[in-house]
Amino acid sequence: MTMPFRALFLGTIVINLFTVGPTAHAQDKTIKIGALFPMSGPGSYFGAQDKQGVELALEQLNKAGVNGYKFVVQYEDSACSPLPATQAAKRLIEQFKPDVIIGEECSDATLAVMPVVEQAKVPLINAGSSSIKVTEPGNPWTFRIMPNEVMQGINLAENAAKRMNAQTAVLLFENTNAGIGNAQVFKDNFTKLGGKVLAEIGFGRDINDFTSIATRVAGLGKVDVIPTYTLEGQGLKITQALAQAGVTKGGGGNAIQIGTIWLPFGFEQKAGKAALGYIRIVQFDPTDTRDVAKNFASEFKAKYNADPTHLNAHAYDQVMLIADVVKRGGKDAQTIRDGLAATKKYSGVTGSVEFDKSNQNIKMDTIHYMETKPDLSWTSLKWN
Amino acid sequence: MTTTIVLQQAINGVVLGSLYVLVALGLTLIYGVLVQINFAHADFVTLGAFAAYFFMHLIGGGYILSIAVAFALGAALGWGVNAAIFTPLRHKGNELLPLIATIGVSVMMQNLMLAWFGPIPYAFETPYSSQVIRFAGIFVTWQNIIIILVSTLTIVLLYTFMKFTYLGKALRAVSQDRETAGLMGINPNQLIMLTFVIASALAGMGGAMLAPVLVLTPFAGTSVIVKAFAIVIIGGFGNVEGTILAGLIVGLIESFTTQFLDPGLIDIVVFALLLLMLAIKPTGLISERREENV
Repeated sequence: MTMPFRALFLGTIVINLFTVGPTAHAQDKTIKIGALFPMSGPGSYFGAQDKQGVELALEQLNKAGVNGYKFVVQYEDSACSPLPATQAAKRLIEQFKPDVIIGEECSDATLAVMPVVEQAKVPLINAGSSSIKVTEPGNPWTFRIMPNEVMQGINLAENAAKRMNAQTAVLLFENTNAGIGNAQVFKDNFTKLGGKVLAEIGFGRDINDFTSIATRVAGLGKVDVIPTYTLEGQGLKITQALAQAGVTKGGGGNAIQIGTIWLPFGFEQKAGKAALGYIRIVQFDPTDTRDVAKNFASEFKAKYNADPTHLNAHAYDQVMLIADVVKRGGKDAQTIRDGLAATKKYSGVTGSVEFDKSNQNIKMDTIHYMETKPDLSWTSLKWN
Repeated sequence: MTTTIVLQQAINGVVLGSLYVLVALGLTLIYGVLVQINFAHADFVTLGAFAAYFFMHLIGGGYILSIAVAFALGAALGWGVNAAIFTPLRHKGNELLPLIATIGVSVMMQNLMLAWFGPIPYAFETPYSSQVIRFAGIFVTWQNIIIILVSTLTIVLLYTFMKFTYLGKALRAVSQDRETAGLMGINPNQLIMLTFVIASALAGMGGAMLAPVLVLTPFAGTSVIVKAFAIVIIGGFGNVEGTILAGLIVGLIESFTTQFLDPGLIDIVVFALLLLMLAIKPTGLISERREENV
């Protein structure tokens, strides 16, 4: 054996002593959670905030453990995109052998991962993908705790038509499963209620300048609401462009941007006055008075010196739901899956959780409406 | 369709095209002189954007001055990266090495910026973004006016430098025939360095100009670089005039495709034009021979 090979061989043994050994020893007392979060690309803000929520949950849970179990997490970058997400899921399953997986955020990535977890028989808890396809048809191993695009879309269309008295709408959406799906549900339900959709404008994630789109919207005549479905970065630019074009309230116009769960807390501060009057569904309401939500908000602030976003909150909920299942006897992939399916009235920081036969959370108290005030803070609209 | 909307979209297209030109000019200069594609160019743009952002938000500097800071940082970085990485690799005689190195520099810069600045989008607001001039149904922000003025000034200065100064003429000589230029007493290595410095400075400045338009993350530059490459090809590899014309055309295509077709079709239209150019006029919009470029 030559020197480099000998060094490599010895190095491998040393690495194995520090990794394989302790893991095998602790395996019986550890619930292994694989986390598929976008850490790179335009959706990487999801991963950074998800990780904060997960770390807070782990810190709290591992102080005493649950039923004698501690929780460990391995993060993989799924990049908000189907191919890297699939590769990351396979890496997790083959190398880390998780008892349960949480993530992804983007619907396209989640849909790509679902067959992989089903084949490996590892439960997947999703908290950020709204495409209906995640649960319809879905698969027995995928659970979603957030309201899907249909639940949100019907609710949003009803509120636009009935509470906001909107008669016309222009749909702005990214050309992804979630973007197209959300827009379609709104259109179907808004038109059923007598509303008229003046234009459906889809765009890729590589669009930078939204001035041209705002110009087109401005040329469409009287627009009451503009349902918008994009990631935060493009969302900021759209909101500013619509205000510059004088279309929305923030720019002196009459139209109001509305939306489902896409944008995090803090969006208003970044968008500035352009966001005035924006009404949207958020997954976490920082003004929620339930103890679980108040405690989470204060503990998050104590740890990170910042207010939590819905991404922090739903990542925290994913881990806490796993802990709840472990408390009810979950100890491996199969029992955790069965425990998830049997969940009734679990109360998390984003709302309650109870799954139907397709593993979709049916609780509507996860839908919180907010409006951006002139000082760029939120008003909780209490529409649900 | 009213004249107002057509005029508004034309303005939008010219503004966007001006930004593309600033990014594409650096690419075309490097290609013209070195016959090399710089894949790290996008990351110089991103770094310029962050330099301008932090100059304004940490130091409290003004936006106009932040453009100069981004320009200077881009120039310094271009000098450093070329001296430390690209020049030694070029001297090894294998043209593939510096090309691959630009990919390495790109990945390294993206990940360094991800580590330093994080993945959450920054909101880059300038005092001029929200100042809107409205006239006869047309709207233009002061930011747009600054973009057009700075881009025009940059193009004029670059054109003057290339056509009428000794260094500019020497640079063109190196791009036409590096060995013969060397025999005439021109030091090609110094001029290659100058090319990198100018191209990187333009990228940095382009970043500062694009920052209020882009979704500012460590990956911001990559969203414009594909278009910039297309512009360089449509304009003619290494052709400055062609690049300016192609940049404006692509900007106008974007705005009018959005208005009359669908924004989802922008890339299809732009890259169809690129393929058409490659098939019909591969030398680009203006020049017939490569020697006429730069």
